[in-house]
Amino acid sequence: MGALFRSLGCMIFATLLAGGQGASAAETRDLQSIVDDGVLRVAMTRFDLPAFHQKRPDGSVVGLEADLARALGQALNVKVVLNADYGSFDGVADAVASGSADIGLSKLSQTYYRVLHVRFSQPYVTLHHALLYDRVALADTAKGRAPDDVLRNFHGKIGVIAKSAYVDFGHRNFPEAQIVPVGTWDDVVLALKEHRVEAIYRDEFEIRRVLKNNPALNVQFGAAIVTDQKAFLSIAICDTCSKLQQFIDYHLSEYPKAYTVDQLLNLASQH
Amino acid sequence: MTLGAVVIALVLGATRHPFVQYLRPVGEFYVAILQMCVLPFLLATIPLAVRSAVMSGTAGHVVRSLITMLAGTIVVVALIGVLVPTAVFHLFALDDHTLATIGALVGGSSDRMDVEFAIGTALAEPAKQFGQTGLLAVVPTNIFAALSGNDSVRVLIFAAIFGIGMVVSERHSGVSVFGALRHIQQVCILIFDWFNLLVPIGIVALIAPQVALLGSEVYVVLALFSYAFLGSSLLVLGGVVVFTASSLRMGLRAVSTSLLRPIMLGAATRNSLVCIPLALETMTKDLQVPREPCELYIPLGFATIRVGTILYFTVATIFVGTLLGHTFGVWDLALIAGLSIIASFATLGVTGIAALAPLAIVLRPLGLPYEIAVPLLSIVDPIAFMIRVMINVAVNCLIPALATGRRSPVLDPALVPAE
Repeated sequence: MGALFRSLGCMIFATLLAGGQGASAAETRDLQSIVDDGVLRVAMTRFDLPAFHQKRPDGSVVGLEADLARALGQALNVKVVLNADYGSFDGVADAVASGSADIGLSKLSQTYYRVLHVRFSQPYVTLHHALLYDRVALADTAKGRAPDDVLRNFHGKIGVIAKSAYVDFGHRNFPEAQIVPVGTWDDVVLALKEHRVEAIYRDEFEIRRVLKNNPALNVQFGAAIVTDQKAFLSIAICDTCSKLQQFIDYHLSEYPKAYTVDQLLNLASQH
Repeated sequence: MTLGAVVIALVLGATRHPFVQYLRPVGEFYVAILQMCVLPFLLATIPLAVRSAVMSGTAGHVVRSLITMLAGTIVVVALIGVLVPTAVFHLFALDDHTLATIGALVGGSSDRMDVEFAIGTALAEPAKQFGQTGLLAVVPTNIFAALSGNDSVRVLIFAAIFGIGMVVSERHSGVSVFGALRHIQQVCILIFDWFNLLVPIGIVALIAPQVALLGSEVYVVLALFSYAFLGSSLLVLGGVVVFTASSLRMGLRAVSTSLLRPIMLGAATRNSLVCIPLALETMTKDLQVPREPCELYIPLGFATIRVGTILYFTVATIFVGTLLGHTFGVWDLALIAGLSIIASFATLGVTGIAALAPLAIVLRPLGLPYEIAVPLLSIVDPIAFMIRVMINVAVNCLIPALATGRRSPVLDPALVPAE
């Protein structure tokens, strides 16, 4: 009996030790481990982000983020696995934080919550924040004031994508407004069209893309750019991967690409 | 001949031949030489008119009559401006295709945003001002600066006040320079008579290049607005001819032929002030309206009373409201009319696209967005600008005719044919 208990105890201890070593391995994962494994695991959102990443009917993923991931893989001389299976932006960041992915590429902006759990590269695209607002609703609220004054102290409902950085940005930049998180970007736009919200909040590229795809909306809805707020789109990197972060920043510096909003809109229409 | 020149200009412009654009410098030169004598003419004419009114002892009556007719006319024009587009937009609804195309026009290039603002108030730009408005816009703090800057409104105000001073001084001291002023006025009129021989050439050179630049497709999209504005304008212009003929007891054909010259000069030059000498000549010589109220009112009216802008603002407001599905009640229409009258004074000293800025005064109290109006109205502004000046010239010619009627042969021996 005593021998049995001793054996069981050794087995339990060995299991715990193996788990701890595994945990340690995850915690210390960095550039060398990626090169040793021969694969760079990239987390992306399940839904398309035109110009950034989109799934073609044949299953391939195209867009500047897909190109960037492949370029990094080529630079590291490793295979790239694009896992476009995450249902939200926070989900992508969480995947990197948990070690399920090495990097996350999905128009991720830095937020306090995300920075606590992952690292970020330098930005690969920088966009201004922007709003698409209901002209009549705003003019009714304005009572003769200029629209920029009304927007700056907005009291109405602002729709944002749920579990995105814009939930935080909305609360921070429009403290008197009611921030309404809605499932996907299409749902957010629909909420605006159905007058469930008075404005929607995202980056200038997405706002202009809505209007470009449906010019008739220009009559009812106006576009406003927030000149002092920028979305720094960066790659989320596992928290222990300081060398990987250095590598990625070096790659972005070596191959800088400054995308204008017009160029992004053209890319989106090409794909 | 004027009508013939207009037809030639329209036909030439419609051909869009590259040669037409070479006419533009000719037209601009013509406007420049017309403007050359406008300020000296006004500086001479206004004090003479003030003196004439005071000496005849009818100044008070004439001024009261002018103000009454002016107020009534402005109200009528504003009413036309709200009723005609309301009827047009009620009869011809906007379809989805037109809305989509108008939306594309509003959106324009992908670079365009309606509003730019900063969250941090330290970075917020101060609210844009429309420049000096109201009384500050007309007070001549430095007459020489106003003259060199071609600031006609300030020059007119100065001339009126100075004219009153000259009359009072003449009564006290007996010293008078009105004879010299009369001579200056006659010299300016002589020069204008020379240049008026070139009016048909000026009309062709000014209108043809403008028509050639117009894109017909945008007017198709904005057809509803164009119909409403053109319809209202034609009603006003027709009303001017009818009421002028009625007041002066003359035939419609004679009145319309006479008024056509200053109106078309206004359309061609898009400048009311250069039409003042021709308008005075038309009203006093051709239509036999007493000189005193014409010289007293026409310069001031042309410079400060922008009836065309009142009409434009009313139609534009109702159009924007219709685009956004807004319905206007009686009080809303009255508010539009009143605010348009007020906003028209805010355009003093401003011309062209910049004169659209005060439209915000009309739109915002009604809960309508100003940002959608500018890109749309700037498309039709080339033709709308011409029509606004035509209406300014026509209605301001009407006022003295309504106020005093025709010169009586009993009072004016010059009108009695020699036996």
